[in-house]
Amino acid sequence: MSVLLLQFLYILFPTCGFCILFKVPTKQFPACILTGAFSWTSYQILLYCEASAILACFIAACLVGFLSDICSRIFKEAATIFIIPGILCLVPGAGMYRTMLSLLQHDMDGFAANATTTLSMAGAIAVGLLITGSLLRVVLSVIRKLPHLH
Amino acid sequence: MVNIIQKKILILAVYAAEIMMKNGAEIYRVEDTVTRICKACGINYVEVFAMPTGIFVSLDKGGKEDDTQTYIKRIKGGNTNLSKISKVNQFSREFTTTDLSVDEGMKILKSIDEEPPYPLPIRLLGAAMVCSFFCVVFGGGPIDFCVAFISGVTCYSFSALLTKLDINFFIRGFCCCGIAAFIALTAATSISQASYDPIIIGSIMLFVPGVAITNSIRDFLSGDMVSGLARLAEALLTAVSLASGAGVMLKIWDMIGGVVI
Repeated sequence: MSVLLLQFLYILFPTCGFCILFKVPTKQFPACILTGAFSWTSYQILLYCEASAILACFIAACLVGFLSDICSRIFKEAATIFIIPGILCLVPGAGMYRTMLSLLQHDMDGFAANATTTLSMAGAIAVGLLITGSLLRVVLSVIRKLPHLH
Repeated sequence: MVNIIQKKILILAVYAAEIMMKNGAEIYRVEDTVTRICKACGINYVEVFAMPTGIFVSLDKGGKEDDTQTYIKRIKGGNTNLSKISKVNQFSREFTTTDLSVDEGMKILKSIDEEPPYPLPIRLLGAAMVCSFFCVVFGGGPIDFCVAFISGVTCYSFSALLTKLDINFFIRGFCCCGIAAFIALTAATSISQASYDPIIIGSIMLFVPGVAITNSIRDFLSGDMVSGLARLAEALLTAVSLASGAGVMLKIWDMIGGVVI
C-alpha cells in the first residue's frame, strides 16, 4: 500500500515537469497534475492487482479522458490541455527501451514479446481515449436531444 | 477588384489557425476557429481544410459582385505550447461575442504569438524533474536519481540547441537519447551502486511522443483521417529514433569493451 502512495507522490513531479515544458496555463496546473497522478496511480493499482499491463493502460487512459473532459467543462478550456500531461506518463517509454535492448542482445523471443506489449499499450491508450471521447459525445448529444423528442 | 476588408479577415483567421496548428491543437479546433472568426465578420461561405503541414481557407460573401478569396499557408516546425492554444481559443470566443475590430484582433493575436515559453532555467528544472522522478518510478535508487537529474538537464539543453539550429525531430531524438545513454553508461561503470536501465528510461520519457499520439487519436475521432495518419507516423518515427539513439550508444559501448551489457 505504501508503495502505491509513494508512486502517487513520485508521479506528481514528472507531470509538473511536463506542464512546465508544454507551458500549461498556470491556473490549470493543479488539475493537470492531479489528472496525471490519478491515472498513473490507477495504472499501478491495477498492476498491483495482477491485471495485465495492457488492461491497466486502457483503464488509466479512459480515466484520463474522463477526468480531462470534466476539467475542460469546469474550467472552460480545451480538453487537450488536460489530456497531454496526463497521457504522457502512460506512454510506454520503458517498453520501447526494453524492446530495443532485447534486439541488441539477439533475444528474438524477448524482442517479439516486448514489441507486442509496447505496441498494444500504445493501442490501449488510443482505444481508451477513443472510447471515452465517443461515449461522452453520444451521451451528451442524447441528453441534449431528449427534451425535443416528444 | 480586391475586397480589402475581406482580405484582412482572411489574414486574421489564417494567422489564428497558424498559431494553433504550430502549437499542437487538433484539426477540428483549428477549422472551427477559422469558421467562427469568419462567420462573426459576416462572411457566409467559409471552407477550411487544415492539415499538420498546411492550411487552406476560402472565403466568399455570396453576392453577385463578390469575389472568392483563397489563402494557402504552409506550416513548418513549431513546438507545443498549450498556453497559446488556450489563449487563441479564448480570443476566438471573445471575437465572436464582442465587436472587436479586425485590426485590434490582429494586435491581440500578435501579442499571443510573441509570448515566449518559460525561461530556460525553469524548463531545465522541469526536464530534470521528469527524468529523475521517472527514473525512481522505474526502480532507480538515490544515486540513479542524481545522475538522471544531470542527464535530464544535459539532454534538454542539447535538444534546445538542436531546435535552434533547425535540426529535424528524428536526428534530435536520436542524438539526445544517445547522450542520455552515454551519461547513464559512464555513471554505471564508474559508480558501483548506479544502474543504467532506469536512467535511460527516465531520459527516454522526456522525449516520448505523447502529444503526437494524443492528437492523432483526437483527429481520427473527429474524422480527419489524413492528419491522424500523419501524426501517427510522426509518433512512430519519434519512438524509433529514441530507441535507436539509445541502442546505437549501447552497441558502441559494448564494442569498445565497456563491460556493462
